[in-house]
Amino acid sequence: MSASIIPCELRSVVKSFGRTAVLRGVSLALDAGQITGLSGINGAGKTTLFRILAGLEDADSGELVFGASGEVGLREGVREQVAFVTHAPQLYPLLSARENLQLFADLRSARGCETMPAREALMTVGLEAVSDQAVRTFSRGMAQRVVLARAIAARPSLLLLDEPFTALDTEGQELVLRVLLEAKERGASVLLSSHDLARLREVSDRVVRLHAGRLESPREPTGHEGAEGVKARLPESSATTRG
Amino acid sequence: MTPSLDDLRVDARSGVGPPSVLQNGSVTTLRQTWILARNDLRQELRELELLITSVFFTVVILALYAVSFAEMSKSAQPKAVPGMLWIALAFVGALTLTRVFEREREADTFGALLAAPVNRVAMYGAKFSVTLAVLCVCAAVLVPGLLLVFPSSGVEGWSALEMLATVLLGCAGFAAVGTLFAAGLAHGGGKNVLLSVVLYPLTTPVLMMSLVATQRVLQAHPGAWDILAKIAAVDVILLIVGGALFESVLVGGAARGSGGGDSSTGAGGARAPRTGEVGPDMLGDDVR
Repeated sequence: MSASIIPCELRSVVKSFGRTAVLRGVSLALDAGQITGLSGINGAGKTTLFRILAGLEDADSGELVFGASGEVGLREGVREQVAFVTHAPQLYPLLSARENLQLFADLRSARGCETMPAREALMTVGLEAVSDQAVRTFSRGMAQRVVLARAIAARPSLLLLDEPFTALDTEGQELVLRVLLEAKERGASVLLSSHDLARLREVSDRVVRLHAGRLESPREPTGHEGAEGVKARLPESSATTRG
Repeated sequence: MTPSLDDLRVDARSGVGPPSVLQNGSVTTLRQTWILARNDLRQELRELELLITSVFFTVVILALYAVSFAEMSKSAQPKAVPGMLWIALAFVGALTLTRVFEREREADTFGALLAAPVNRVAMYGAKFSVTLAVLCVCAAVLVPGLLLVFPSSGVEGWSALEMLATVLLGCAGFAAVGTLFAAGLAHGGGKNVLLSVVLYPLTTPVLMMSLVATQRVLQAHPGAWDILAKIAAVDVILLIVGGALFESVLVGGAARGSGGGDSSTGAGGARAPRTGEVGPDMLGDDVR
């Protein structure tokens, strides 16, 4: 595998859809062994930010810089180290869970990338018993676990989780937390979004809020539990400092 | 002993003197193309949706031809049958292209592939191969069917090998253009009806050349291979252009520079502001 892509940095990224400005000069540094929580109301641009980081969307301006060498832009070598979990499963419904994972494992292996065996990854998410069942027979939560297994198998340096708790039961949510901690211990950088601000604060080293196309630190707590951006304590490692 | 591709992969992963052949991006691209095409074929074999739809449509067209042109004179058949063949393949091709990308569209699996370290040329190559395979199956029904219904369409001594080459090259040209645009429409949420609007004008040259080649083959014309060579050259150009533009069509230019592998130098995902642009730093807060 090539040199680590972490730290990774977004510099002044601007993105608009037509006349609607979604990201208005977003800069964000993601460091090794750090979980960054991303909050924001619906339509704040969180998914757009994730998609730009994953190379699925083109930014209008700005830079994406990866690794100590400062490699600019997403290329295949960079993508080897990125895993993106969306709130939509993105799985082949006619294939089994194992075949879905094996496909991506084969594609990675063709490039010489190290990949966890599909069966092992499915065991990690508790789906080994149904690994040969077609994904179309799975519940939404089970499908989400398969997607998590796909991300785990890639052993990414940059793990992007866009609302990964969607459709997951309590056990599944704990699984996500385990994945986060494992990635952090491995030295990966994690960017995680959720509408559950309490949980986000609980698991993240720092929380940043996307509001009106700009990144900002969440507001200090005022005692109103549950509201977006309210009672959001700044984590130990301040959102305004790197790492 | 020549190492297998699997051996080469293991060597590269363990870092024991990465074999030069693996460093060649084309080997990786070919392997990924095969993996993706195999994946599509595996799904198709479970459902047979694509094959049944396309072959059934082919048989219906053949039946309509048989009924409509049953009274066609023997002298008219050599000129009419090639036209019937390529009109039918053009319709079946559009239908096939729509269905080929429907699975990816429904499950948004293209997104997962685009986020993975998959060469975009491999994605293009896999879809092209599957489309070509389905078109060839339909042609295998159409060509014998037309010759059976219109027995005077070919002179004695026409070459089956030349016909095979004509069908293969013609379908390849059609699929090369079609795969590119069908992917763009499928991924961009475009209406499938747009595919026909874009597809037919762009594939007309290949279809016309294939039609002329088919006429020559059926008439045992000595110049058949000349036009087949030209179609082959056009196919190569279309495939190169299709492979090169595939990522731009899919992502609108995101992550440019990955299409040909790691050798590219282009910045992707986001680009630096041009000199003179309003500095976006003025707009946002840095979080570092």
